[in-house]
Amino acid sequence: MSFTWKAALERLAEAREIAASLGGAARVDRQHGQGRLTIRERVAAITDDFTEVGEFAGFTVRDANGNDVGRLPSSYVCGLATVDGRQVALGGEDFTVRAGAPQTYLDRYKGGMGGFVEDLAHEYKIPLILFMEGIGGDVSAQDEVGHSYLVSSMSWKRSIELLNEVPVLVAVLGSAAGGTAGRAVLSHFSVISEGSVLFAGGPPVVRRALGQDVDKHELGGAVMHTSVSGAIDNLAADEPSAIAQIRAVLGYLPQNVWELPPRGERTDPVDRACDEILSIVPENRRRPYRIRDVVRVILDKDSFFEMGPGWGNAVITAFGRIDGIPVGIIANNPMHIAGALDASAAEKQIRFTDLCNTFHLPIVHFVDVPGFMVGPQAERGGVVRWGMRAIQALVEAEVPIVTIHVRKAYGMAVSATSNPDALGLRIAWPSAEWGDMPIEGGVEAGFRREIEAAENPEQFRREVEERLLAASDPWKTVEAFGVEMMIDPRETRRVVARFLNASLHAMRARLGPRARPWSMRP
Amino acid sequence: MQEIRAELSGSVWKVLVSVGDSVERDQEIMILESMKMEIPVVAPAAGTIGSIEVAEGVAVETGDLLAKVAVP
Repeated sequence: MSFTWKAALERLAEAREIAASLGGAARVDRQHGQGRLTIRERVAAITDDFTEVGEFAGFTVRDANGNDVGRLPSSYVCGLATVDGRQVALGGEDFTVRAGAPQTYLDRYKGGMGGFVEDLAHEYKIPLILFMEGIGGDVSAQDEVGHSYLVSSMSWKRSIELLNEVPVLVAVLGSAAGGTAGRAVLSHFSVISEGSVLFAGGPPVVRRALGQDVDKHELGGAVMHTSVSGAIDNLAADEPSAIAQIRAVLGYLPQNVWELPPRGERTDPVDRACDEILSIVPENRRRPYRIRDVVRVILDKDSFFEMGPGWGNAVITAFGRIDGIPVGIIANNPMHIAGALDASAAEKQIRFTDLCNTFHLPIVHFVDVPGFMVGPQAERGGVVRWGMRAIQALVEAEVPIVTIHVRKAYGMAVSATSNPDALGLRIAWPSAEWGDMPIEGGVEAGFRREIEAAENPEQFRREVEERLLAASDPWKTVEAFGVEMMIDPRETRRVVARFLNASLHAMRARLGPRARPWSMRP
Repeated sequence: MQEIRAELSGSVWKVLVSVGDSVERDQEIMILESMKMEIPVVAPAAGTIGSIEVAEGVAVETGDLLAKVAVP
């Protein structure tokens, strides 16, 4: 048959229709019936500028007798998109085609472990945004190949090296199992919509392996992962909210590690009044308060975005801006276990510290920590190891750290708030107190034998306490330059903005990927 | 009835409500003492106090039932 433009363009148009119809009307209806968007609708929800790659990749569908019964598009959609004016690589599984299983029928993966969309992000040094919904490998792939294969023949290297190059932002929307679940976790930020699930193995696998009947949401539901396991950072009420969260996080991050995060508008005056702080932090030192409210006052208006708000609750981690400069906020949370650092809070803090270090976000650390969490439960959770890892992450961080001492700072946990081998800029409020150990309790532990031997143990203990309390006046430390500054809390925004602006010179001098100076975490 | 459980180990310092009291969401109903701090326990939703399961001065462990709130 001879070539004609008319016939050639008609064939192109037909192919485009097949691609647009996904896994067919019935499966699209089923997707909608479960309250979920299709992959093409998700793409349209985040961008109106999408240039698709591999649109016509697909496979021949055969019945049980091997007869050709038509074609389906591949189970992955990907391409180049513009999101809020930023070039990004965008991809996601199509659950209406083979439940989003890997594209083993193609010469080259479009996405998943490696695949074109990951190469696009890597080669162009642009962020990677993934919509994840798929069950991982399935037996039909094995059937097609004609033999079983070792999963280790496939490489995770690209997915892993992207973590040191460009923002990888993931939304889990629906079911993510096996390889899809694994891919979702290899990200800088992940969000999961309510009703979605993620697991290494779903309820049928659990039943076979362990003989346990378990509900899929109880096993790996969105609420569980964002409040217990921490495998996913944030929960979203629905798909549009998940997409909004991805966009919000992208706004605080650079295109890649060779660039600085984009500075926002400088419309909120740095010297505006911050009087609320004095009423948020109670004068009664035994009363906790809402540290998020304190942080919000100091940040630029409406620039607070919390990462991992549902787990590791003794610490909050959040993106924000001060004078337009994107920053990472770490703050001890006195409303949860009095702000003591436990294993899960340390794990959350490490993840966020590494993220800030990777993308050159200065860290502003609000300190109110009574120490590492104590007690049998904390020790069994490995609090000492996790706590020391949090310290290591901070020592490794090559970004400016401005530490604000709000109230308590006791014990080893304080080393996880500042780095004395870097600038170690610590700014105290007059409400601050610190030491090796709180005086009460500390006296019991430090002078037990003397107290027991005293004629009047109770009086002796009180005398020692009073003597130590007098010496623990934070002003004495200020006068010894053992803390760099003491300021009125209402000046914090202006003072921090001043240092952040100056630190931009150091940030520009340290662009590029981070090589971790030590090869392991303890 | 919504259950209110202790989020950390400590002792019950003050009980601020009685059975039958109506409470607002986030209203403090109890104060625990732990890690030398006064930790407020708040109502998870507006409702009526259905039961109080602990007395002032007793020790509680993480997860112990403190009170129940009947939510309309």
